[in-house]
Amino acid sequence: MTVAVLFPLIIVSFIGRLNELNDQLLLLINSVAGRSWLFDSVIAFFLANDLAKAGVIGGCFLAAWYGGKTAALTNARRKILLTTLVAALCVITTTKILSKTIFLPRPEVQSQKIYKLASDQLVEMKRMPVRFMLDDESQKSYRALVGGDVDSNDLGSFPSDHAGFFIAISLGIWLASRRLGWLALGWTAIVILGGKMISAQHTPLDVAAGAAVAITELSVIQFLVRNRFKGLLEKVTGLTLRYSAFSSAVIFLVAFEVSSTMIHIRAFLGLLAAMRRHVLLGMG
Amino acid sequence: MKKLTIAVIGFSFFFLTSCGVKKEGLVIMTDPSYKATMFATTKVGFGSPDGLLWHKGKLYLADEGGVAIEAYSRTEGIKKLADAGLGVLSPEDLVIDSQDNIFFTDDDAGGLWEVTAAGQARQIAGKDKGLISTEGIALAPDGSFLVGDGKQHIIYRVTRDGQVSEFLGRDFGITKPESMVFDDRGNLYIADNQDNVLYLLDGDRKLHKIIDHGDSFSPETIYFAKGSLYITDSHNGKLYVYAPGEEPKTIAAFGGQLKDVEGITVDEQGHIFVSIQTNLKQKQGDIIEISREESQIARK
Repeated sequence: MTVAVLFPLIIVSFIGRLNELNDQLLLLINSVAGRSWLFDSVIAFFLANDLAKAGVIGGCFLAAWYGGKTAALTNARRKILLTTLVAALCVITTTKILSKTIFLPRPEVQSQKIYKLASDQLVEMKRMPVRFMLDDESQKSYRALVGGDVDSNDLGSFPSDHAGFFIAISLGIWLASRRLGWLALGWTAIVILGGKMISAQHTPLDVAAGAAVAITELSVIQFLVRNRFKGLLEKVTGLTLRYSAFSSAVIFLVAFEVSSTMIHIRAFLGLLAAMRRHVLLGMG
Repeated sequence: MKKLTIAVIGFSFFFLTSCGVKKEGLVIMTDPSYKATMFATTKVGFGSPDGLLWHKGKLYLADEGGVAIEAYSRTEGIKKLADAGLGVLSPEDLVIDSQDNIFFTDDDAGGLWEVTAAGQARQIAGKDKGLISTEGIALAPDGSFLVGDGKQHIIYRVTRDGQVSEFLGRDFGITKPESMVFDDRGNLYIADNQDNVLYLLDGDRKLHKIIDHGDSFSPETIYFAKGSLYITDSHNGKLYVYAPGEEPKTIAAFGGQLKDVEGITVDEQGHIFVSIQTNLKQKQGDIIEISREESQIARK
């Protein structure tokens, strides 16, 4: 009886403390923003430019793909990397579904006076006193936010899909090649995710949740594929060695998409969805 | 392996059901001097309201989802004044005259309809007179009605005995006269939410494009009160206030399931009421009150 009463209280208290810690950590990281135009412009450049942001991860992936010193080592690396790609797709699907269902606006949005719908009532949310970056693009977004322009993507920041996707890929590279993996993980943590938190697009908790999804799904899928689909994996990696020219072309496209956060594939899927709506369902 | 799979599925299920994953909504006050409160929800008995009108202490609703005209007050609750039995399909917008008679449009059934102060409902003029898909309605100073037709792209004048004549023809270029209102000087504001333009027809029958910002501004419903024009934008989920000669100022932005902001009205104290079509198919909606913070009222 006592346990039944105390357990929820402990959970609520723990969540409260975790949120408090999360807010404090975000404000600490974000405190470097909005002080120097040059610094903010550099951060914004790495956030916006796909080559600078994710090109390094794509490069590490390609290096790991071709970098095996022997055919057996190359084969082993490719098995890990192919499985990683499958896992990364699952991770991005999971994080997207979660962020669309769990309602948590980005910290920058939470800096405004917001009322949230809770049990048929509008409840004022706690305002996050985040600092805004001074570069031109961030200032433009800030003005849009103050004017009420909020993208629906900005209403679901938990978990971070950037964290999930890039940690899954980087971790896969780390499993294939330690040196390249450290580089990819370091770049993901400092440049990609650090920038996201400095600019108040994500909290540390968003990033941690994205990372948790990535680690969990990558582990499960690596385990499943190696045990249940071993034959298929052997066959595919064998084909990449036999048809090296074709597989190089495909892996270039994959690395290209990784480097651009799969924006082109998402656009293609969007086109398919629009075609389905307009042609098959006869809407619009 | 089986146990692991079950554990992962179980954890995912627990996670999804314990984090409040239902679709949520929010209101961002871009003018922080205002506050937002939930005035009424579907639970009080209405469906998914479109047109709203504050009149003598009550809110009158053109309930598109609930296919009815209703009156609501917190003390008396909801009262149905006309419903599908009359032949209406999608009540759109409404006005009330000084004798408390209600007049409303219907974009599916077409026509102009009336519910008298005594509670008798009838169609004043129907599709046979050219009112195919009626949208905005305004009560003209001479007692007749201006009714916008979204399919004919015409604004008609309709008299109380059902005579229909063309007020603004196709040559004026208004595609969908979604909402209309007169200001205190006799100018007529017309909201076209297909071309995304706010027009003003002055006393000399000259039509002016007041706001034309492309997709970033799509006027859904307009309401004139105390020298200001209040505008809802269902495409962008926004509530604006506009004063002649100035740019529209955003008061609030609506997101999530509250994005579809439709009707608007203002009471005598300046409290703004907006209707939200949370889910038209499932007949769900909300009415949100936007009002000044107490400190702002005290300062004024």
